[in-house]
Amino acid sequence: MVSVSNVTKAFGDVVAVSDVSFTVGPGITALLGPNGAGKSTLFRMLCGLAAPTRGEVRVLGRNARTDVAVRGQIGLAPQQDALFDRLSALQFVSIAAEMHGVADPEANARRMLDFVQLPADDPKPVGSFSKGMRQRVKLATALVNDPAVLILDEPLTGLDPVQRRRMIELFNELGDAGKCLLVSSHVLDEVARLGSKVLVIAQGRLAAAGDYHDLRDLMDDRPHRIRVRVDDSRRFAAALIDRGLVDGVAIGDELEINTSDVDGFGRGVAPTARELGIRLREVAPVDDDLESVFRYLVERR
Amino acid sequence: MNGSVSSTRVIAITYRVLLRQLVTKGRVIALSLIGGVVALLGWAVGQARNDEDFLPNEIIEQIRLDDAVATVTNVGFTILVPIVSLVFAAASLGDTREDGTLVYLWLRPMQRWPIVLGAWLAAITVSLPLVVIPMSVSAYLHDVGSELVIGSALGSAIGVLAYSALFVLLGLMVKNGIVWGLAYIILWEGVVAAFGSAAAKIAMRGYTSSIVSERTGVDIDIGTLAQSTAVVVPLVVAAFALWLASVRLQNLEVA
Amino acid sequence: MTAEGNAQILDRGYRRFEGRRSGVWGAIRSTAWHSTRSVLGLGRKARHKVAPVLVIIVAMFPAVVFVGFAAFLGGDEFVRDALEGVIPEFSELPRQSLAAIVLFTGLVAPEALVRDRRDGMLSLYLSTPLTRPTYMLAKVMSVGGLIALVVLVPTMIYLIGLTFASLGPDGFGDWLVVLARIVVSGTLASLLYALVSMGAASITDRRAFASLSVILTMLGTLTVIQVLVEGADLSLNWRLLDPVNMPLEMLARMFGDLGEYPELSTERVYAANAGWAAASSGLLWWRYRKAGS
Repeated sequence: MVSVSNVTKAFGDVVAVSDVSFTVGPGITALLGPNGAGKSTLFRMLCGLAAPTRGEVRVLGRNARTDVAVRGQIGLAPQQDALFDRLSALQFVSIAAEMHGVADPEANARRMLDFVQLPADDPKPVGSFSKGMRQRVKLATALVNDPAVLILDEPLTGLDPVQRRRMIELFNELGDAGKCLLVSSHVLDEVARLGSKVLVIAQGRLAAAGDYHDLRDLMDDRPHRIRVRVDDSRRFAAALIDRGLVDGVAIGDELEINTSDVDGFGRGVAPTARELGIRLREVAPVDDDLESVFRYLVERR
Repeated sequence: MNGSVSSTRVIAITYRVLLRQLVTKGRVIALSLIGGVVALLGWAVGQARNDEDFLPNEIIEQIRLDDAVATVTNVGFTILVPIVSLVFAAASLGDTREDGTLVYLWLRPMQRWPIVLGAWLAAITVSLPLVVIPMSVSAYLHDVGSELVIGSALGSAIGVLAYSALFVLLGLMVKNGIVWGLAYIILWEGVVAAFGSAAAKIAMRGYTSSIVSERTGVDIDIGTLAQSTAVVVPLVVAAFALWLASVRLQNLEVA
Repeated sequence: MTAEGNAQILDRGYRRFEGRRSGVWGAIRSTAWHSTRSVLGLGRKARHKVAPVLVIIVAMFPAVVFVGFAAFLGGDEFVRDALEGVIPEFSELPRQSLAAIVLFTGLVAPEALVRDRRDGMLSLYLSTPLTRPTYMLAKVMSVGGLIALVVLVPTMIYLIGLTFASLGPDGFGDWLVVLARIVVSGTLASLLYALVSMGAASITDRRAFASLSVILTMLGTLTVIQVLVEGADLSLNWRLLDPVNMPLEMLARMFGDLGEYPELSTERVYAANAGWAAASSGLLWWRYRKAGS
């Protein structure tokens, strides 16, 4: 649904995005990267708001910069807070609906505001809204035309935990309904709850793409860390080292294992415990999470 | 679910949204005060009586007409018309570009020229009454006849239409449109246009002032152009500026 | 193994600054310098320099043109006499750049003042040894110094150019007197323009509207007074309310010239300028008495 081919974007001497290529289909894909990595620039190019210096961007097979119709299929919640401050939430979202040619714009606007849990009949201008309320107005605006592609730049910023959970549920519903959602965020543990497809951007380049669990497995120059709880930590640790199943062990109330051979460790840990007559209570990966993957990909640069 | 959006609809929506954003209490009050000063000046000059009682009435009337035209052209067409137009027109799309709200107009399945037209219409909706009314009142209070009133009203209306189009374009071309607009008004229109009738053709003030000059028969420093030229050329310039603004909007990189 | 006497701890992390502190004057100087850099776009991309540099060039233009013209004709007695009345006197030169001066004040004062109010920098400044009066002093130094680039410097260039063309003041003593007059009168005029423009710019937190406010205060007042005096036949004393011409009129009187408005007495001209300075300072005090809290 979204296709980016060898896209580079330079602002004078500054290369914001460098030779990035990927395709994204239905479902949720998270775009991760540190500040200044080029995520927002990439999003702007996807929507046609900026033209790539080189390469090609296609949304639903068309170029949003020149194709009028495809712009009606894109919903964007931009990062900046600015809205038409003097309009109420209902007016703002209704006008967006009108501009998309939506039938019965006001009714649709009400439905979207209800979706994001904002009172439609509040006459206060959006200029007086808090950051979280503005964020929800942006989301309602992005959704009002029922777009096939949703581009959400830091959509969880400013939302309280309850609202974030609600938004994540909503995004998952939209993803399951076949829409293509591209979401950028710094809140990694919540992005992890949006699914496991990620694009990692660092210094303008695409550092990694795919399921982050699979990415973790590809990180073979970094030992995996695994937490093991057993009845007799010292004896078990010694046995693991003797059998060459680990690179290192930290012994505390529980064991923290470093191993380069996860599969080998996985095959050997239970038989080792049985041989020693030690009860194995827990074996859990410590760094098989998005944050570890992200830090590995970004910090090593 | 979605249909195409007709150009008329786009103009209407853009007009409504931007008109609301443009009309702020501060702007309207400040610019109304300037209009009030212009009207007051008309009254003050109209009340003045020459000391040369020994002169025939026709000469005195001519002197009063000359003074009235000088006031209208020097104050109204040099300050009120361009500055009021600048404030609203540069802000119409310029502000949306600077604060990032342009994305809510740009990323829509709409053509660009209706957006520009809607912005221009919103700007002139506010500018026209703030300019034409005080200019007409000022001309009336000079008490030198109806030609000055008609000329001032027409000249200021044409001026607003033309300046607004130029400054809508300016707001899309540069950041700080108002500062660049002021530079144009002071340096270009103020200094260059003072070089007589040849320069009158390259400054909007030459055209607007000519409308008054032609109607009243009073020559002005900047030179007098034919009435048809003085009306048609600014409108052609306005149309061209709006077309350029549409092209610019299409090619703009939106933050 | 290193003997204890040779061991060094090289970095303990955060440490207090124990060196010499430059005090309030240092803070004033650096604030003034930083404002100046900001207005001229120094340390920023070229496009930030375009507007101020362009206006400065326009302001220099008359001085350069007249010097070039005079130098082309040569410096003998005949030429001197012929040029009298053709090229301006030193007191008249700033008037040739009046449009550029007005435009420059509209650029400089808003850039120097508005950003600090809008971005919250004013609070940061006031958390240093600077107080509101010393912060204002720094800004006046910056804005006044910048306006001197278009008021004072062109006349200096004119003096130096004419001197090189053997058309300057007779005798070294006269030359020094002219120089002193240029510096003192130019500084005072620049200061006046600085105060008036800063007062006008202080009424809003939006830079574009601050520029508009300055331009309307200066140009608008000038135009209205011209109309009232010439069109409505009001008293010539109304000209004392003109913030654009009065500093230049004062400048001319300091040269012993009659200026553009000889009908106005020198005392009244000085009083009018003092009045504008006081009114502008009052407006600045009122706008900044709680700002940044």
